[in-house]
Amino acid sequence: MTPHDWYVENRTAFVVRTLELREERLFAEHLPRCDECRREVARLERDLGALPMAAMPVAPRPGLVHHLADAVLNRRVWWRRAAPALAAAAVLMLAIGFGLRERAHQSVLATTLAKRERELSALRDTLSIWRESQRVVQRDIAMGNHKGGLLIFDDPTTHRWNVVMHGLPAAPTDSVYQFWFITRSGMVRSVELRCEANRPAFATLDMPKTPGPVMGAALTIEPAVSHSPEPRGLELAHVQF
Amino acid sequence: MSPPRDPKPSPPPSPPTGPSTPLTVAGQSSLRDRLIARDERALVELIDTATPWLLGLVQGMLQDQDEAEEVVLETFRIAWDRVATLGDQHEELMPWLLRVARNRAIDRLRRRARWRRKTARAEALGAIGPATAPFREPDESAHPGWHVHESVHAALRALPEEQQKVVRLAYFGGLTHSEIAKELAIPMGTVKTRLRLAFDKLRVALAPIGDWVQ
Repeated sequence: MTPHDWYVENRTAFVVRTLELREERLFAEHLPRCDECRREVARLERDLGALPMAAMPVAPRPGLVHHLADAVLNRRVWWRRAAPALAAAAVLMLAIGFGLRERAHQSVLATTLAKRERELSALRDTLSIWRESQRVVQRDIAMGNHKGGLLIFDDPTTHRWNVVMHGLPAAPTDSVYQFWFITRSGMVRSVELRCEANRPAFATLDMPKTPGPVMGAALTIEPAVSHSPEPRGLELAHVQF
Repeated sequence: MSPPRDPKPSPPPSPPTGPSTPLTVAGQSSLRDRLIARDERALVELIDTATPWLLGLVQGMLQDQDEAEEVVLETFRIAWDRVATLGDQHEELMPWLLRVARNRAIDRLRRRARWRRKTARAEALGAIGPATAPFREPDESAHPGWHVHESVHAALRALPEEQQKVVRLAYFGGLTHSEIAKELAIPMGTVKTRLRLAFDKLRVALAPIGDWVQ
């Protein structure tokens, strides 16, 4: 008995599927390699092709034929048919949503960038003035725990003074930081400098319209209601040129 | 949700008559060509004609109407998808459909058998309750039918009783050699011999039924 005899003996069993699972796999693996077995199996299938007709036909339940045809042809309920379109629409909506969000985000970024550019431009302007300034005066000021100062530099182009008060707290209640020019004819009241939450106060000042040159400047704390032409409050800084 | 069932079972379909029926060799050939050409009406025609036979075979094997309908649907899907390759092999449509359906049903029975073995083991360990109803031998001999059906029945009846029994269990019950031996409490060698003898006779008796329903 040759190994092939087993396949010959079991051709019918393979066709009618009475082989055990392991044997069936063995036979199925053999089949593509053996023309004779393939031919015989095809012949057996043909010869026994009518055997399933021994089963009594069963009338399908009402509607089954149409259901089967619909299912095979994939004619499904509308939402299943529309599922790909709905999915595509959902993807499109998401894409649009992301696009709009991106656009809004870009708009915010553009606004922030423009603001930063304006600030940078202002700083450059300031630096350009400082670089050309012929006179810069700095005075340190201590107020309780705060250590700040008064910075004054001239702008030779516009012939104005730039004043920066920094590092100081907001002025006490009912008081203001008052800047003064010192001239030959006496103290000349200038502007109030407002410090908020320790942010520096900036001011660009024209020279006072008084005869004679300006000799210096002073910073005092004055009562808010006071409009005295002479300083009466606490002097924080005094600068002489 | 499945559509409502008709409480009264419909009578079996009348045998198709005339040369235009898709169950004739000429009819099948024409139908196959139309199916290859993706003619949807041809598919509906095929489903209309073949469903009673497929259902009869598969429902008898599985003893479950819903599962049988699933197998029939799978079979028609395969037919619709692969009918072009069938055209190359010059195989007739109906035997091919019946074989596909039977193979799918056997696959389900074998899965079911594996599941039964698992549940039996689990039951033995007291893990779960009693199993579902045991598999029943299909009763396919009660009704008269078409010419092919009658011819096949005649061929089956011509077999000795013990061979009929193994053929029913093997072919219409989807059992393997060892399962039949266990079912009938006979040696496996006897099962193989009876099956070999039975199928040799059936092959001779059925081979001339080439024209199907004429």
